[in-house]
Amino acid sequence: MEALTSYALATSRFLLILLSLLILVRCLRSLLSEKYESEIWGHLSCQGESYPLTHWENLIGRSLSADVRLCYPSISRSHAVLYRNDKGIWKICDIFSKSGVWVNGVKVGSGGGQVRNGDVINLGGLVLRFHDITAADRQENEAVRTSAGSKVSPTVTLLELTGFQLMLMFQHSLSAGEDYARAILLAFVALIALQWCCYSALRLMDRSGFEVETLAFYLTSLGMSVAASSTPEDMYKQILLTLVAVALFLLSGWWLRSLRRTMALRLPVAALALALLAVNVVFSDAVLGARNWLDFAGYSFQPSELVKAAYIYAGASTLDRLFQRRNLYGFIGFSAVCVMALALIGDFGTALVFFVTFLVISYMRSGSFATVFLAVSGAGLAGFLAVTVKPYIAQRFATWGHAWEDVYGAGFQQTRAMSAAASGGLTGKGAGFGWLDDIFAANTDMVFAVVCEELGLIIGLCMVSAMLVMAFFAVRSARHGRSAYYPIAACAAMALLLTQMALNVFGSLDLLPFTGVTFPFVSKGGTSLISCWLLMAFVKSADNRRGSSFAVSTARRTGRREEEEEEPQDETPEQEIDIAQGNPYISRQEDWYEEDY
Amino acid sequence: MRKITNRAFSLLLIAALVICGMGVYLMNYIDKGEDWAKYFSRVNSGSSGVLMDRNGQVLAAFGKGVENFSQDDEARVANYHVTGDYWGRTGAGILSRYWSGMQDFSLLTGMTKSENSVLPLSIDTRLNKVIYKALLAQDPEARGMMMLCNYKTGEMLGLVSVPSLDPMAENAAPPEGAYINRCLSASFIPGSIFKLITAAAAYEQIGDLDERTFYCDHEYDIAGVTITCTGTHYEQTFEQALSNSCNCAFAQIAVMLGQDTMVDYVTRYGFLDKQSLSGISTVAGSYPTDFVGDPELAWSGIGQSTDLVCPYAMLRFLCAVANSGQLVEPSLILTEDAPKSNTYMEAATAERLKQMMNFNVVDHYNGEENFPGLRLCAKTGTAELGDGNSHAWFVGFLADDKHPYAFVTLIERGGYGLSTAGPIANEVLQWAVENIEPTLSDKG
Repeated sequence: MEALTSYALATSRFLLILLSLLILVRCLRSLLSEKYESEIWGHLSCQGESYPLTHWENLIGRSLSADVRLCYPSISRSHAVLYRNDKGIWKICDIFSKSGVWVNGVKVGSGGGQVRNGDVINLGGLVLRFHDITAADRQENEAVRTSAGSKVSPTVTLLELTGFQLMLMFQHSLSAGEDYARAILLAFVALIALQWCCYSALRLMDRSGFEVETLAFYLTSLGMSVAASSTPEDMYKQILLTLVAVALFLLSGWWLRSLRRTMALRLPVAALALALLAVNVVFSDAVLGARNWLDFAGYSFQPSELVKAAYIYAGASTLDRLFQRRNLYGFIGFSAVCVMALALIGDFGTALVFFVTFLVISYMRSGSFATVFLAVSGAGLAGFLAVTVKPYIAQRFATWGHAWEDVYGAGFQQTRAMSAAASGGLTGKGAGFGWLDDIFAANTDMVFAVVCEELGLIIGLCMVSAMLVMAFFAVRSARHGRSAYYPIAACAAMALLLTQMALNVFGSLDLLPFTGVTFPFVSKGGTSLISCWLLMAFVKSADNRRGSSFAVSTARRTGRREEEEEEPQDETPEQEIDIAQGNPYISRQEDWYEEDY
Repeated sequence: MRKITNRAFSLLLIAALVICGMGVYLMNYIDKGEDWAKYFSRVNSGSSGVLMDRNGQVLAAFGKGVENFSQDDEARVANYHVTGDYWGRTGAGILSRYWSGMQDFSLLTGMTKSENSVLPLSIDTRLNKVIYKALLAQDPEARGMMMLCNYKTGEMLGLVSVPSLDPMAENAAPPEGAYINRCLSASFIPGSIFKLITAAAAYEQIGDLDERTFYCDHEYDIAGVTITCTGTHYEQTFEQALSNSCNCAFAQIAVMLGQDTMVDYVTRYGFLDKQSLSGISTVAGSYPTDFVGDPELAWSGIGQSTDLVCPYAMLRFLCAVANSGQLVEPSLILTEDAPKSNTYMEAATAERLKQMMNFNVVDHYNGEENFPGLRLCAKTGTAELGDGNSHAWFVGFLADDKHPYAFVTLIERGGYGLSTAGPIANEVLQWAVENIEPTLSDKG
């Protein structure tokens, strides 16, 4: 009997690895082979040429990176932004161009002026006609696009994930004590049920892109396994938290579908983030140097985790606002307050995570390396001060790279993590069969080592790779985001999660100073799990493949609404407009164009 | 939009850094994974095993979450510097070095559970207890060490360092310096025992050595520096000079040999290197290798100056002298393998030193009375510390094929070598000759 069990355990260990690799490869294949085609939202016609408008926000200008590239000398490199809202109302705004913007002969400033179907837009003398897209056209365009999941079936990937979870469940049933076996079993069954419910619901909504969710569920399963090994008494709580996290993910994805309401709530969310941090600074208890825990009605939670999502929500921005410096300065100020509050709390790991996220957001917003360098040098100074002022931070830096020299003191956690991780080999000891999970904070700070010990290095690497693949998804789908808000938010979310993962993994392996941040999805901790799923909503909101993401409204629905809400088109005059009206340059430049182009 | 989306590649930069970091980890894992794994996983892997002495007595045992030592209180204390402990509090110990080796590791499967692995040591616990008592007989707070080794097989039979401690007494504060293994992890001013090395060099390098005489009138002036002797020995042969332990004679010999030759011999005999006793690293000694003038050279030839010798390096020297210049590298682990030896010094040199050391005992140390029944070859050392105190050394071996034991005895700040360390060595040797069974290879 015992021999049979150990044979079954060995088999399941190899199956776990096989399924892990399959899941990752399928997600990666989907990433590489799926077609990411642009949506078309309107056209600009100019001198017989038609330029499609492939985003909700389109930069018009002479530069290579403009969405509508007009190579005429009178056009500035970044000339104007033509953008629409959820309701299909188009506006154009001048972004400090040299030669100005006119719509139907009326000058438009940086505040923006509305553009209707057939309107004539005059950019420094160049005349363009704007054509909005009708709901019918849009449906037609959509029908041509390839839908998500057509190359790599998400159902099969999800079946593999279910197999993976069943194997974990089996191994835990062998290792768990009798008291907890039932709870652990239930937790995995609940997780499997949850992901299939989630998937079925999305299929009913005609959504078929499920790669990011699959990877998130994959990591959550690993988290469930770590929880079962380390704190089996908390399994019911873990189930509940996972439910809440996924529900919040769906809710916030739905919220992000509307750019208008998303943008409207940015300031309140920023205020909420600051308020949470303020409460944290004032009321929290110190746990191991960092005062990032808040006890509330018997539950303890980490406000700084929720602030992560709020920070990105408030920090991302639409294209038309990006060209206003004032907005960037506001964001820098907001970031500085957040990072300082975290430093005051003593949570330097999270402060660092925020800082990297800040760098990514500010670079994506401004494209300016100067801003980034300035920020880095500022932070370097602040970091130096932190190290000199806080002795335990200096201690962690001193230990960095020397963990094995003090295995009973400063290197206590890292050396144990490294030892346990290595003792698992490539295939691991089996879920629940490790020893590291008995060490304090192993299920949060040293979770990579727990996974390596119990499930093996290959699955440890798969865990890191899953995060990387998610990041590649964010980069890939960023190209086709409707509004700049979504790609910025998606990339910022992934930058935050990747940084946090790097600090967690490399901190526990003594390749970076030990900071005690969590591994996204896998580390135990309710607020952390919720925060990770919330951040996933940003990644989903940038995925514009046809029928891919529930966080992006589809053609049919948008079409219906557009028909109802769109203003009547017949008012637009179809006769020729005197394009020279109000433009002093026009007559001179027209000749000039003809010579050169 | 394209402007923004192009910048999404900044995220790939972070991803690239993560991939690089994982690459570094993988390389470290391949390189050091085994050491890491074994360090803590030994008691956590579910494996079990025991550490035994040569008579099958359990010195330490471990299983899942259990870390035990011998049930015999005295044995735990006497063996502490052999076993070390599970917690790495003393650096040089079998546990730190070998616990891990009692399990299997592969990069593919990680640690594999191995049950009831046994590591037999060459140590005789009974002997260690005798040594421990003898070291503390004169002064219960003495600091010192003694090692006893079979120079034919290389088996280390006894290894004790005092002060020691009971690894199972959790709360008692150990005596100061108890964690230091004085046999392997410390080096001391050698004093007169160093004259053996100078003598070996002189024998090989000075052709007409036995025709020469060395004059001692208590003081020897060299370049304005006076080297004093313990007595006034007048005219003496080389042999007499060693048994007199005459500073004047050996100062002259060192100067005659020159610094380069001295450095060459000290290096050749391994005194300046870290040695390894069954994988446990020892400390290196020191000798003036940068140019020093004749007075300093003279002092260094008689074991003063900046000379430092690790007791274990001295033991190797003695083993080689006793075994006709062939060194069987000492070992703490009992193996079935036939002992291997290599040439440490010329056989003729070893023979000559052996004769002279025997002459010391017979002629000078009152061998009949102080070391009855032992065919002892030895040298004392009284290493001046410059503050009126001196380390008491007594080193040597038995020229006895049935009891081929080499030993090093040291009491820190113990006074005279012969009167402090001599009796300890005698007591231990008497016990060993009587009680330790000749090993298989000896019988053959």
